[in-house]
Amino acid sequence: MESIINAIVAEPPEPGHRLRLVELHGTQTIGLPELHETAGRLAGRLREEGVRPGDRIGILAANCLEWVLLDLAALRLGVVTAGFEPGKFEGDGELLARYDLELLFTDRGEAAGVGGVRAIKEVGSLAEAPPHVAEPHVAGPPAVRYEPGDVTTLKFTSGSTGQPKGLAASVGSIDSSLRAVQEMFQHGPEDDLFVFLPLSLLQQRYWIYSALRYGHDVTVSTYEAAFMAMRQTRPTVVMGVPGFYETAKKHIEARADATGVTREEAARRLFGDRIRYLWTGSAPASAALLRFFGSVGLPIYEGYGLNETCIVSKNHPGAHREGSVGRVLPGKHVLLDEAGAISVRADFPVNTRYEYARPGESERMFGPDGTVRTGDVGHIDEDGFLYIHGRADDTLVLDNGKKIVVRPVEEAMKADPEIAECVIFCLGQSRLVAVVSPARTPADEAAIAARLAQTNAALERDERIWKVVIADPPFTIDGGTLTSQFKPKRNRIHDLYRPEIHDSDRGIHA
Amino acid sequence: MPEHVEVAARRTLAPLLDLDIAPDELDPDRDLAADYGLTSLNKVLFLTSVCEDTGVALSRFTERDVARMHTLRDVTELLSSHAGSSPRAEDDAENEAAR
Repeated sequence: MESIINAIVAEPPEPGHRLRLVELHGTQTIGLPELHETAGRLAGRLREEGVRPGDRIGILAANCLEWVLLDLAALRLGVVTAGFEPGKFEGDGELLARYDLELLFTDRGEAAGVGGVRAIKEVGSLAEAPPHVAEPHVAGPPAVRYEPGDVTTLKFTSGSTGQPKGLAASVGSIDSSLRAVQEMFQHGPEDDLFVFLPLSLLQQRYWIYSALRYGHDVTVSTYEAAFMAMRQTRPTVVMGVPGFYETAKKHIEARADATGVTREEAARRLFGDRIRYLWTGSAPASAALLRFFGSVGLPIYEGYGLNETCIVSKNHPGAHREGSVGRVLPGKHVLLDEAGAISVRADFPVNTRYEYARPGESERMFGPDGTVRTGDVGHIDEDGFLYIHGRADDTLVLDNGKKIVVRPVEEAMKADPEIAECVIFCLGQSRLVAVVSPARTPADEAAIAARLAQTNAALERDERIWKVVIADPPFTIDGGTLTSQFKPKRNRIHDLYRPEIHDSDRGIHA
Repeated sequence: MPEHVEVAARRTLAPLLDLDIAPDELDPDRDLAADYGLTSLNKVLFLTSVCEDTGVALSRFTERDVARMHTLRDVTELLSSHAGSSPRAEDDAENEAAR
């Protein structure tokens, strides 16, 4: 079967489609054939500077055209990219040594120019066509040819503590994911896929690869320009995460109330009037959120996957079931043990081990054949739809042997508008303590206490929450209590609130 | 400072915070994130909305400008400095600059 990565590095795409890069102060538009050609020139210049197949280059920058060009040039050369998320990594020379990089391109001005650290804006001049070149289409070195097990990029996991682990992604896994997504969503000439999450996340670059291979537009914006960009560019597909859609939902409701327009109209004003569907993943979306977007005429499709597995399942227009995360993709195999613990085997695994990990971390996640132990529990219904019940490590075992899956309890607390997040811990193997991130400050303690009583009333005795600790300040990415995908960092939260969790005099008691 | 910018900013911010606080009770010098719990994405949406309501193009600012806006006063002062431009000029500025 044809490799999509091999196809996009070997041949220029058909004309007619474009990449747009939206920043607050302006938009750059480049045709896809021109993008391919410019990336080829950049590949040539990098090779002249001594960068060779198998070398590694780092990119630490906000979304920009130069990011895209570096990624595509690296693909042309057989060079491995390491995408570092701004805010999570510092732009200093230490990254070069720690991750074995030949060069690090960064938009963090203070570091550029030191050793192999380069300003990412230099990419523009590196990729410029020399004036004497009459045939620009021959620019760039011949493209490399990848085997399925070759790797193109180093991903980093959002570890809750310590340095992030590295995970090199195979061409076979990228190809199979792109192929499966295309089969489900049929992205075509009328589509414009919108990306605003960091390009350091490999999946966000998938949509650029998809545009090059399948012929559609793609728009990439900075985080800050996301909402402005949607209004300007009127995408047909938005690639988001639940935290983004929760923010959008709140805005749509507030605008509709304030201006008297319908929620459908407020949603159109925010997302534009051409939306075909919204993509969500990376973290569980609440049922209320999914229903809301359906009710305002914006279909939203949830899926399931980990960094280590890539996309495992996905709802889509042709096969969608509420409450599920869709059917399992071709080439992925979900294995359930007696307790419902989910493992995933792939025809083309992302990889079979971590890099830059502590001893034993790879073995804990990957089986000998590369099967990934996800740590989640769930089931598959008779029609093949996968349902996720929670994390296996969310299953608490009390001293009386009773097993409690805490996610449904957390979801019951989070159903309250005064509660943004809820994480449950077990105290002394007998009592459940919830750390709640309030939806506003100061927290409405009365409302949270009422929700605690309401939640407990619907639970069995052992499942009831003994007390609630209110997080102050609320969980944030900047505060280190949420991952960049807006998931609570359980270990960090436990460390921060250990005294409040364990002191029986503190907190709101049931 | 043009009054309509501050009025629009207060009117937009109050419901976004989901606080039981009237727009005119918002303290202009409190930190939007630390004191009012405004997430970074909500801040972006807040700015986008205020710009829309006041006819100031968000494209007047850079990502670094946004990072420097910590309080309501920061927002209203920066927006007010651009609020004198004609709506047409702002619309034009918002249009794409294809390259």
